[in-house]
Amino acid sequence: MFEDKTIPDLTAAGVSSTEEAKPTPLEEEVVALFDQLQDRLMRYLFSTGVPVQDGEEIVQEVFLALFQHLQRGKSRRNLRAWVFQVAHNLSVKRYVTKLRDRKHLVDPGGAPEADSFVDRAPNPEDQLLRNQSHARLQSVFRALPEQDRRCLSLRAEGLTYREIGQILDMSLGAVALSLGRSLARFTRAEER
Amino acid sequence: MLSDNSHLSDQELLLAADGELPPARAGQVASHLAGCWTCRVRKGEIEASIGEFVHAYRGDLDPLLPSPAGPRALLKAQLAEMTAERAAAPPTWRTRWLHGPNPRYAGAALFLAVLALLIYLRPGFESRRAFHVVPVSFPEPSLTPGVAAGVNRDQICHSVPPKNRIVPASLQRRVFEEYGISGAEPRAYEVDYLITPALGGADDIRNLWPQSYSSAVWNARVKDALEDRLHDLVCDGRLDLATAQRDISSDWIAAYKKYFETDRPLQ
Repeated sequence: MFEDKTIPDLTAAGVSSTEEAKPTPLEEEVVALFDQLQDRLMRYLFSTGVPVQDGEEIVQEVFLALFQHLQRGKSRRNLRAWVFQVAHNLSVKRYVTKLRDRKHLVDPGGAPEADSFVDRAPNPEDQLLRNQSHARLQSVFRALPEQDRRCLSLRAEGLTYREIGQILDMSLGAVALSLGRSLARFTRAEER
Repeated sequence: MLSDNSHLSDQELLLAADGELPPARAGQVASHLAGCWTCRVRKGEIEASIGEFVHAYRGDLDPLLPSPAGPRALLKAQLAEMTAERAAAPPTWRTRWLHGPNPRYAGAALFLAVLALLIYLRPGFESRRAFHVVPVSFPEPSLTPGVAAGVNRDQICHSVPPKNRIVPASLQRRVFEEYGISGAEPRAYEVDYLITPALGGADDIRNLWPQSYSSAVWNARVKDALEDRLHDLVCDGRLDLATAQRDISSDWIAAYKKYFETDRPLQ
């Protein structure tokens, strides 16, 4: 999808300095992809409960990994799905690490973590609830199984069923079923 | 084929709305929809649900998006750093191959590559990741995510850990193997804890990586200064231990810039 895309000239938009070397074409390509995808990645991460600071760190890590991936001459096939897949894996990994650290790290004198991964307040979903006109939709969204929420969010970010399947390691049929199930719940909620 | 009396399932209507039906089936569904008010109305309802969801999703999450300017500038700086370090690193077989200066040697290079492949594939040859790109300032997240031991602030601040705990030689060898660094190169590296033991880092290979002494800017000595700084902040009660561990393991250069309030190492 992105392999044939013309890379926009970012030299004018970037931070420039007389001391800085001109970015290489590969650096420019990665920054161009960052410009195209970082909003979508952040929204996806927020929708799955990742706090803002963690989201920014994950996105940064994703594009550094992308740079290394391309530096090594690895596949350029569908970089959009690749980027979402790495972001998804990193967010899951952080979640698991935080759960483990919670068990092991007891800091008697310290305050609780400011940005707890799963029960921080306010979280994006809580903020969505503030909007009364969307409260019904949001309550349905929150009640969905985690995998269904992820499918829905990725579809809302414009990813195809095949890409969603790749990112979440699901079959095409499972993606279609998940989305169908979620939308049926929305429709039923609206009919009440 | 669809009979005149059957209706499309919601699943098929959704696949049709998303353009995910196989072409042959898409044609059948389109002609059914053209003649069936019931299915067309249902498809409209499904699309209305999608529209409402997207409206809520975007409308409420977009305001939470931070400005991308800072992360974008940080990314550009880190990419430039990685490019500079790669250029400074000894050329690997891959860089020689991709950027080889003289096409006259292409035939010889090809011969050597075939020879190497034959040796590599011969029975009994030990498989290893010798062609891994050698990192210098950044740990490979998949190899070195950083691991904390189960210790708390009191244990860290009321004991005196050795300044630079020696990593056992066997563990060092495993780290070099993981990162694909050959026998001649390790002297240029410090096998470093990503989360230093002085901040509760574990003696775990997932917390160890080969950091270059020769890196021009962000080298092992700079990271040592960051570790001292974070230890002082934690023990002075000005920084939470978990935050210090997270910051140094997720991006130690960004952590240095944050805690020293500078874009360059203070040396």
